Amino acid sequence: MEKQYVAVITGASKGLGKALALSFAKEGYSLGLCARGIEELDEVVKQVEELGATVVASSADVTQPKDVDRFISVVEDAFGSIDVLINNASTFGPGPTLLSDYPIEQFEEVIRVNTSNPFLVTKRVLPGMLAKGKGSIINVTSEVGKTGLAEWGAYSISKFGVEGLTAIWADELADTGVRINMVDPGEMNTGMHDIAVPDCDYALASPDDVVDVFLYLASEQSMGVNGERYEAQAFTREGSELS
Amino acid sequence: MNTLATSFHIPDSLHAEVPPEHRGLRRDDVRLMVLQKGEKNASHNRFDEIDKFLEAGDVLVVNNSRTIPPVLKGSQGKQNVEIRLSRKISTHQWEALLLGTFIQTNVPIQLSEGLEATISGLGSEPPLVTLSFSEGGSTLLDYIYRYGEPVRYEYIHHPWPLETYQTVYGAIPGSVEMPSAGRAFTWGLLSKLKAKGVRIASIQLHAGLSYYEKNRWPNPNNHPEAFAVPEETAKLINTAKQNGKRVIAVGTTVVRALESTVHEQGEVKASSGITKLYIDQHHRVTSVDGLLTGFHEPEASHLHMLRAFMPEKKLIKAYKEALNKGYLWHEFGDMNLILSERKGK
Repeated sequence: MEKQYVAVITGASKGLGKALALSFAKEGYSLGLCARGIEELDEVVKQVEELGATVVASSADVTQPKDVDRFISVVEDAFGSIDVLINNASTFGPGPTLLSDYPIEQFEEVIRVNTSNPFLVTKRVLPGMLAKGKGSIINVTSEVGKTGLAEWGAYSISKFGVEGLTAIWADELADTGVRINMVDPGEMNTGMHDIAVPDCDYALASPDDVVDVFLYLASEQSMGVNGERYEAQAFTREGSELS
Repeated sequence: MNTLATSFHIPDSLHAEVPPEHRGLRRDDVRLMVLQKGEKNASHNRFDEIDKFLEAGDVLVVNNSRTIPPVLKGSQGKQNVEIRLSRKISTHQWEALLLGTFIQTNVPIQLSEGLEATISGLGSEPPLVTLSFSEGGSTLLDYIYRYGEPVRYEYIHHPWPLETYQTVYGAIPGSVEMPSAGRAFTWGLLSKLKAKGVRIASIQLHAGLSYYEKNRWPNPNNHPEAFAVPEETAKLINTAKQNGKRVIAVGTTVVRALESTVHEQGEVKASSGITKLYIDQHHRVTSVDGLLTGFHEPEASHLHMLRAFMPEKKLIKAYKEALNKGYLWHEFGDMNLILSERKGK
């Protein structure tokens, strides 16, 4: 990479977020990383620095506007601007539960956390991207963000929300040079999947296997792609869209 | 004697204490007084009608510096010290105003989490000092965001959060006070202007403190501010001028930045640095043809700059008219657009 590109990844301390941080570091991106817990995040920071990446990391609750402003401002101050935002942070809530049994408070909390954080972080990052007329925002969705499956509860509903948010924003950003797309990473071997499917008896992809589509959407190869939904594992297997 | 300073008084009822969006309105639901050179009377409009006064090809230049929360609480022994950051000098150093009943220059100021600030010199003008912090860079900025508060002057009676002190397009953190002339713009209104063919360009000027308390005001000659005019913005401005279109500065900070880098013929050059430029009626503004601004205190240097756009007499008349019509003053208040005559007329 000639220019030093800057990618911001939320929820970067584990699972897919951590895999994305490492793969973007390998590609030469400078990184802005955040998570709620600083210890696990510090471990990721160490690993990406060993790969030679420059990183700014902060503990932040991305459902809080004040934390979002602090985190993004520190990244902008350190690197000048942001090229790529990956809204990865999310929470699952309780494990498999019928909607009729779903606790009301947890329902509200999951919807709040998963729909407000991509809204708040995107809203905060957009001014810088719009001023440059350039930028790529990638929201992480799920198979259950477009298909209703029993017992996936508020998580699934929140991902339907994320898909709606992506579609609306893509329409509003048309012709600005800034694009927003979403990726369904598919089922992966993560802590979140253990909660969603506790006794999983089938093989799962590793988060490292699904990063290619994110790198593609972050890069200038995908210039002009806006409002699209990608399935990461199909993308990786076929590889056709990379050629 | 500065006649402006004694020419009007703002009644308490006209200090905008509450942002429009907390009064059940939209950001752009404020009023707009338009003064055009060559026209005797001011016109009174809604701010979201600003598109009526702009044409395709005109360029609106905004300051997209973003407000940081610069007010920090510290102590020296049992004495409380309020630190108001004004300008970043280096990764560890800030120029700042210190407020407290008894401040010792040779004793470090203690802040929470073990952060320390040492008075390491004088500032660019009294009463500012240079502070050296025990942390720097991203760590210090992260701390400022965690513990800092926005500057709220005496007419503000509610602790409005930092986001109320931002323009929607603020993207480069560094101002200690909001460049407030653009506060009323919404993305919706900016889209409407773009659809009309008005171009939006940005500069950065990190605004310092505008008031030092106890009736002390900055002297712009001694009030350096960091600015940057990007290549793309310089090009847009120069093209508009070649095509006989107007360039409108959104805020006095934009005028200060552009006039700091304009050639004699009015051509704007991309550059960045520190400016101490003072603009008043003796300065011939060549970079812009108009100014969108708020309503200013009689003592503020912003108001002196307005005299570079309009004779003092006409300005005082317009301000009195604004007072009579109940326009709201300060950062959450109404707006004033001052335009030169249309070119080619």
